[in-house]
Amino acid sequence: MSLLKTVGLRASYGQVDVLLGIDIDVSEGEMVVVLGANGAGKTTTMRAVSGTIARSGSVVFDGQEIVSQSAESIVRLGVAHVPQGRGTFSELTVEENLRIGAYIRKDSIESDIARWYETFPRLEERQNQRAGSLSGGEQQMLAIARALMSRPRLLLCDEPSLGLAPLVTQELFEVLKNLNEQDGLSVLLVEQNANLALKVASKVYLLETGQVVASGSAEAIAGDERIRKAYLGG
Amino acid sequence: MERLLQYIFDGLSFGAIYALLALGLVVVFRGTGHLNFAQGEMAMFCTFIIWQINDWGVPLILAVVIGMVFGFLLGAGTEATVIRSVAKKSPGGVFVVSIALFLGLNSLATMIWDRAEGYTMGSLFPNKPLDFVRVLGAEWRYKFIGVLVVALALMGLLFLLFSKTKFGLAMRSVASNPESARLVGVPSGVVLASSWGIAAAMGALSGALVGGINGQLTPSLMFSVFIYASAAATLGGLDSPGGAVIAGLSIGIGEQLVAGYIPGWIGQDLKLSVALISIFVVLLVKPSGLFGSLKVERV
Amino acid sequence: MLKIKEGSLQHWAIRIVGFALLALLVIYIPTQSETARIGQFASAFTLIIAAMSLNMVLGFTGQISLGHSAFFGIGGYTAAILIRDHGWSPGYTFYAAAVIAFVVGCLIGLPVLRIRGAYLALVTLAVAVLFPTLLRWKKLEWLTDGAKGIDSVKYDDLPVWPILGELKGRDGRAVFSYWLGLLVLVIVYLVCRGLIRSRVGRSLIAIRDNETAAAVMGVNVTRTKVLIFGISASMCALAGVLATLNSGVVTPDGQFVTLLGSIIFLLIMVVGGAGTLSGPIIGGLVYVWLDNTTRGIGTDSSGVLGFVFGWTDQSPATLILGLALIVIMLFAPTGLMGLLRKLTRRIMTIIPRDISPTQ
Repeated sequence: MSLLKTVGLRASYGQVDVLLGIDIDVSEGEMVVVLGANGAGKTTTMRAVSGTIARSGSVVFDGQEIVSQSAESIVRLGVAHVPQGRGTFSELTVEENLRIGAYIRKDSIESDIARWYETFPRLEERQNQRAGSLSGGEQQMLAIARALMSRPRLLLCDEPSLGLAPLVTQELFEVLKNLNEQDGLSVLLVEQNANLALKVASKVYLLETGQVVASGSAEAIAGDERIRKAYLGG
Repeated sequence: MERLLQYIFDGLSFGAIYALLALGLVVVFRGTGHLNFAQGEMAMFCTFIIWQINDWGVPLILAVVIGMVFGFLLGAGTEATVIRSVAKKSPGGVFVVSIALFLGLNSLATMIWDRAEGYTMGSLFPNKPLDFVRVLGAEWRYKFIGVLVVALALMGLLFLLFSKTKFGLAMRSVASNPESARLVGVPSGVVLASSWGIAAAMGALSGALVGGINGQLTPSLMFSVFIYASAAATLGGLDSPGGAVIAGLSIGIGEQLVAGYIPGWIGQDLKLSVALISIFVVLLVKPSGLFGSLKVERV
Repeated sequence: MLKIKEGSLQHWAIRIVGFALLALLVIYIPTQSETARIGQFASAFTLIIAAMSLNMVLGFTGQISLGHSAFFGIGGYTAAILIRDHGWSPGYTFYAAAVIAFVVGCLIGLPVLRIRGAYLALVTLAVAVLFPTLLRWKKLEWLTDGAKGIDSVKYDDLPVWPILGELKGRDGRAVFSYWLGLLVLVIVYLVCRGLIRSRVGRSLIAIRDNETAAAVMGVNVTRTKVLIFGISASMCALAGVLATLNSGVVTPDGQFVTLLGSIIFLLIMVVGGAGTLSGPIIGGLVYVWLDNTTRGIGTDSSGVLGFVFGWTDQSPATLILGLALIVIMLFAPTGLMGLLRKLTRRIMTIIPRDISPTQ
């Protein structure tokens, strides 16, 4: 069953059209990855879904049209966005970052905090430190944990591996995979590291200059010789 | 010794008022990155509203509360209508708009309350000649004690709001990273309007306290207080509430000491200059104030 | 819509006609208007010069300054003191004021320009507030005459400029102020234009747009900033000299010597269009016009204005100014100059000369 479905999604920065009509479909419980070169429109696609940029076309989340909704209300529907560059609140402590992540919730959040500390023990060690003082990998963990604090049904994750050491990246992907497989969390992932992404994802979209140029199951894309050569670096 | 205590005590009361208005500047600056040049004039206007309501027969303390609510609406309304749409077009424009508000509110107050000799403002605290206690030889007037207590109490409340409540956390998150704040569902519009509102409400209270000390109310009531407050905010760091309080109190005390101990050479007129020059010196060494952080760029 | 090539015959024709109209207007005012009107223009010229000087700092380098009223005051006091106490001829005081203000400007600029943004606004605000208290300071009374200021700055020898004809009495004084103001204005304008188009100017704009990048590109940021601050200060002092020569009085409470002066210069610059060469001219004329028209509104007004403002004895001039400013920031954030450009672009475009290299 389709959880997120975009049809003819368009967006632009000023005069420059960045998205020329994107069709993406994420089913409940699926992990979908968006690949593409720099400037293909991957980040813009994420922002258009989460509502942090003006866009047109159609974005249906859980049967509801959200293309004209604001970012503040989209997160309430169950879409959490981990932006590129992490977007942590540097002046706030680690724990405060987690608490503000649950801003939309009215119920108790203590068990959630404990759970994410368990998943990311390094965050617990640094719970009273300012987020700005964390390392890149720790910030990325914090950004993901913060997004999860809102108990989303769909997690948008924009290049979590950016600027991280390979080991840390693997650790993060392990967590994402577990969340997807064990908790049934749907994930839409943007990634530069195609080989890694293809291992965890079930479906792949390939973007080029604001358009989807290929899509299919991860195996099919990984197996397609032509696509491998053109986009995945052999 | 008594003299020194007297100066310190008087200085603390004045300093608390400067700190209150300076906190308003800091709340707006931290929340929105803008410098509100009209902070003092908003406070002055609210003080006239308080006077007017009091003049109509409402008890002063109630009038002050109403004035603070009026201040909140004035500040929040200004942000939501004018400031926000100007900020979208040009960040520097907000400073210009705040100058326009400075001129406009001053002019409007002069037009409405146009008695040249000013108006008599009541004090919230007992203010007869004998209303003081003697502590260690220094005269501690009730009205100064009252000012100090009220100002410190409000600062305490504000501190609790910022550090202990969910809304305070939301305000700090918007100040830290507006886009991420939207992504976690914080209604940034409400938060921004509230920071202007809170700043203006604090201004209203500081205006009422200044008016009560002076006993007199004219449209120029807050100008020099605003200069002291902006000095305090600069000295403490525009994004540091604690810095504003410490700097405000220090400036208050320093001013009394300077005027008291070297009156011949400096004189009453120049005590303001002493405050300003010391800020100058501090900024040369630390360009973003004593407790401020360095990332600030916008005007 | 018209399309005109830069440097083509039509382009030159437009330039010449425009220039001729401007020249006609400039000559028409002092010869055909009443004295009061001529005086208004003379004071507009002073304000325009001050706004232009601020524009060099704020509009082109992006350094805010609320302290320019102090430089205006330095000019005004230099002229007054030199003429009254030392018997200088008015003309030479321009040079003295420019040099003094340049030195003071650099001395203030050197430490201050390390400070940025909102902090710079507040520090220069302190300069503006300090200056008048300094003038009133008892220890400086021997020089500044303290709170009462220096009046009766008399100079009887109006230079004889044969082209202008006989300049006598109040009318003659106004016409003289007009031409003198215009002369200084033109010089300051040309200096600004030369600076902007020079290497220095390009570094200025680079600093405004991205200071770090400019520094990386080899612009000596500190030296350029301080130098421009000094030049700007001396231009503003010229405006101060003019104001003293026009009115014959300087006091520490004078409108343009206090913080209010800095605010007015800033408003003129913003209303006209910050970062444009002609912006301050339009802004200054509009400001003086608005000020003179609204000053008179009050209880004795009739019609709509009387209805709206009839309830108060006070002039609503400043309120109207504030409201006008908010309207401009809301609907024309690039100022009147930006608005004008948008309008002319609807009618015609000037196509720049081909910049591809010619072999």
